[in-house]
Amino acid sequence: MKKIARRDKLKIYGDLLTVLCAESKEDKIVLTRVQVQIKVPFDRLKTYIRELDELGLIQDQTSLRLTEKGKQYLVEYENVLDFMKRMGIAYR
Amino acid sequence: MYEVPRLAIEIASAILYFILVRYMIKPYGLTREERYLGLPLGFGFLGVAETILAIGIILPIHGIGTVSVVMRTFAFVFLAFTYYFSKKPSKNSRFAWIIILSSIIVGLTTWILSLVSAPLMTIGITTSFGIFLRILALVCLSYICIHTLRSHIKSLDPTTIWIPLGFILLAISQYSQLIRAADENYLYGVAFVGGLAARLIGLAVFLYVAYRTFYRATKRGGINEADRP
Repeated sequence: MKKIARRDKLKIYGDLLTVLCAESKEDKIVLTRVQVQIKVPFDRLKTYIRELDELGLIQDQTSLRLTEKGKQYLVEYENVLDFMKRMGIAYR
Repeated sequence: MYEVPRLAIEIASAILYFILVRYMIKPYGLTREERYLGLPLGFGFLGVAETILAIGIILPIHGIGTVSVVMRTFAFVFLAFTYYFSKKPSKNSRFAWIIILSSIIVGLTTWILSLVSAPLMTIGITTSFGIFLRILALVCLSYICIHTLRSHIKSLDPTTIWIPLGFILLAISQYSQLIRAADENYLYGVAFVGGLAARLIGLAVFLYVAYRTFYRATKRGGINEADRP
């Protein structure tokens, strides 16, 4: 089985928001599909979603749509990843 | 004759380094993780070294040039360790190790060179102090160039070529400084002026990469600039 590199919270939040942003194009966001894509246990996924809600990055825990703050975070996150890649420093 | 343009270049370099720090601190600002402090601190030290050098041109204080060379070498050693540790995945931050190892290497080198140079000052061996520190800086820059070039080859992304190019230009600049330190009679020749130009172009390359990365979102119609924190 392929080992997944250890991710910090920023990376998990970033990955989760990226998946939620992509999934928001669908009518309904299916949590199990999100879980498969970001590769975390279901109970931990629920915890992360609650945390994202508390941080104001998603509208609520049912719709899972990104707020403006969430979209802004995602842009910043992508820029940081891109910058670190260009600088030759891997994000772990 | 050349002091005024040189002062202008040193001040411009210091300003460019501090502008780069502003961009490089962004990953730390988002993550609040110590491991992202390596780049901004390294470039910050370089900015401080250039500022000290500029002060040394205005006010010829004894030893200020040496302080600048030591600070610049420390910055390059610090950056080299930042790159070295970045390729090793770790649960904990190695930021403390980067500071300790850089301080030990530069401190020891400076101390040994002071001991060796002190009794021989009458026969002009003091220049060896600057030469060895510049060689150390050049070795560190070479390591960073190789590291960033390897990352570029691995990523296969044409945009990642700019950063190794920037570091190569900084290495060329450092090499010209080495020539100047080695030959006391050689003050303002082509290599020296070319070295200063290489440094400015290198810094412009870094600035271009940082600007393109962080302001790309506005151009592609993402989030309004006014909404940015």
